[in-house]
Amino acid sequence: MPHANTPTRRALKMASMGANVAGSYLGYVLQSAFAGKDKRKQKLKTTHTRVARKVRDEMLSLRGPAMKLGQTLSLQSGILPEETLNELATLRMQAPGMHPSLVRVQVKTGLGKQPEEIFETFSPEPFAAASLGQVHAATIRGGKAVAVKIQYPGIRATIESDFKWFRTITKPAQASGYIPKEAIDEMEEQIVAETDYDREADNIEFFRKKLSKLPFVEVPCVFRDYSSDKVLTMSFVRGRHLEQFLASHPSQRVRNQLGTNLFDLYYFQLLKLGAFHADPHWGNYLFNDDCTIGLVDFGCAKKLSGASLQYLRGVYLYPGSRHSAEFRRLLEANYAKHGKKLPGAAYRALVDFSAEYRKVYPPEKNKQFVFDFSDKTFLTNYIRHATNLFRTKHVMTDYIFMARAEMGLYNTLHALKARVPTSDIVRKYL
Amino acid sequence: MATKSKPKSKAPRKPGKRAQSKQAIRDRIVKAALTLFQTKGFDTTTTKAIARKAGIAEGTVFNYFRTKEDIALFFFEEEVDHAIAAVRDDPRLRKAPLEEKLFTLVHSQLEFLAPYERFIGAALLHALNPASHLGAFSHRAQQLRHRYLAFVAELIEDSSPKRKTDNLSWLVPEAFWIYYLGVLLFWLYDTSKDKQHTLAFLDRSLNVGVSFLKAGRR
Repeated sequence: MPHANTPTRRALKMASMGANVAGSYLGYVLQSAFAGKDKRKQKLKTTHTRVARKVRDEMLSLRGPAMKLGQTLSLQSGILPEETLNELATLRMQAPGMHPSLVRVQVKTGLGKQPEEIFETFSPEPFAAASLGQVHAATIRGGKAVAVKIQYPGIRATIESDFKWFRTITKPAQASGYIPKEAIDEMEEQIVAETDYDREADNIEFFRKKLSKLPFVEVPCVFRDYSSDKVLTMSFVRGRHLEQFLASHPSQRVRNQLGTNLFDLYYFQLLKLGAFHADPHWGNYLFNDDCTIGLVDFGCAKKLSGASLQYLRGVYLYPGSRHSAEFRRLLEANYAKHGKKLPGAAYRALVDFSAEYRKVYPPEKNKQFVFDFSDKTFLTNYIRHATNLFRTKHVMTDYIFMARAEMGLYNTLHALKARVPTSDIVRKYL
Repeated sequence: MATKSKPKSKAPRKPGKRAQSKQAIRDRIVKAALTLFQTKGFDTTTTKAIARKAGIAEGTVFNYFRTKEDIALFFFEEEVDHAIAAVRDDPRLRKAPLEEKLFTLVHSQLEFLAPYERFIGAALLHALNPASHLGAFSHRAQQLRHRYLAFVAELIEDSSPKRKTDNLSWLVPEAFWIYYLGVLLFWLYDTSKDKQHTLAFLDRSLNVGVSFLKAGRR
């Protein structure tokens, strides 16, 4: 019987996925040579969908980091075609689950007893799936409804082996500096940390306490007696995922308020707490008509050092010109703190990137300023400048997850077509 | 020699006092032997030591089992009975897919063996000896294997809606036996916490194996 998902098999699967994708597009090029303009366009759309479906299916079966990569890619509107994004979007909420017998084994391993001995009721079928586990509905003593997140077996080893493989194939990119080793270390460390549900329980309790200051945010509470390093039991958080929410055609007023709340939530975390929910895919946000936001899945939470936070406070809403010597000194000082020099290319990319920020929340005290996130040009430019910055090979590893969270935020705001008083919010927390 | 009877459709009669007492002594011997196999090692354990541990005369041990290999085989028969019952008697599995039934079967075996891991490793090595009662040439060990594989074949057949069979159908349970031995070795050498790597391997390999089987039947 074949050995499924061994490191070699996973590598072969990914390689065959690449070959499949290349083959599909090659087929399109050959066919389009003999087709008219309209037909070519149609064929390209069909090819995008077919390719995306193949990629999505492979990522689903691989789970772990491959699925996480797919989830991150699904937020890259402006870079990937819409058809591809639509297919990848399903990765945010669905994955092939563990069958009920395996779920029972995992619950027994984690909590010492079978589900029916612990919970009053326990649904054998998951209602949501994530890259590292799946979530079941249950009730505990007293009839309280809870969500039980159960980890896939051996997922940590899968992550480690995927990264080992990734490190091997990206050796040339690492040597040339395009993918810094520290960046891979940072990603692996964060994703491996997500497999520790005890740590996630700590994160939830931290954010539940700290975010209680924001009345529009709901964070679940953890039931420690029903949790372990592989099973995490939490209260249910109400709300609908973004796609479902948008399907109900919310008014512009609601979209604006939700956008404002999302923006407020992110900058409160970043500038007040120095810690933020760094897994921005849409499966982790729940929206309500009363403009409240449910936040779930705190496996990936990033805490910034005091120095990083201070630097951020200095560069955000920097009042002077981005081309001034003072701004340059600010950037250089931050690199120097990490024992690095700021190369010219990185400086120029940082200035351009920072100028994009400036468009979102201009530092001038203009209380009427409202940023319209429905403008796709901004998103495309933001991603382009972020990509240019990464290409300079001199991005601080501390900011990798911040960039991911920010990209997720802007994508969500764009999907909401929200108009947000951005400057007011950022200024509030500086 | 201890013999095991196949489960019958009629409800079994309640055993009498004498039979109950015999059963209790047999259980004591098996428990004592397994503890010694696990702690002292299979090769170094003698029937004398087993009798002492069980608190009975050595002669009484021979009334139940001729050799320590017979005790080991009795344990493996119980393991197979336990695993088959775990699948057959679980109403949750009645409509479950084949991979889930096979998962439960193998996992139940591993769970049953788990307290005696050290002994299982030794027994596997012992089974390589053609003269051993645990080996492939022992009649009783072969009977046990046939019973186990007949159940696997039954599960596979039940999973096929058209009950298709072909010339190579007999090969599938045989391949499953080799797979099972592979899983057992993987499990023995798995140092991950709670044997999570074995669980992952079992889950994923069964998914792929069953999908190949289905593809072959199309």
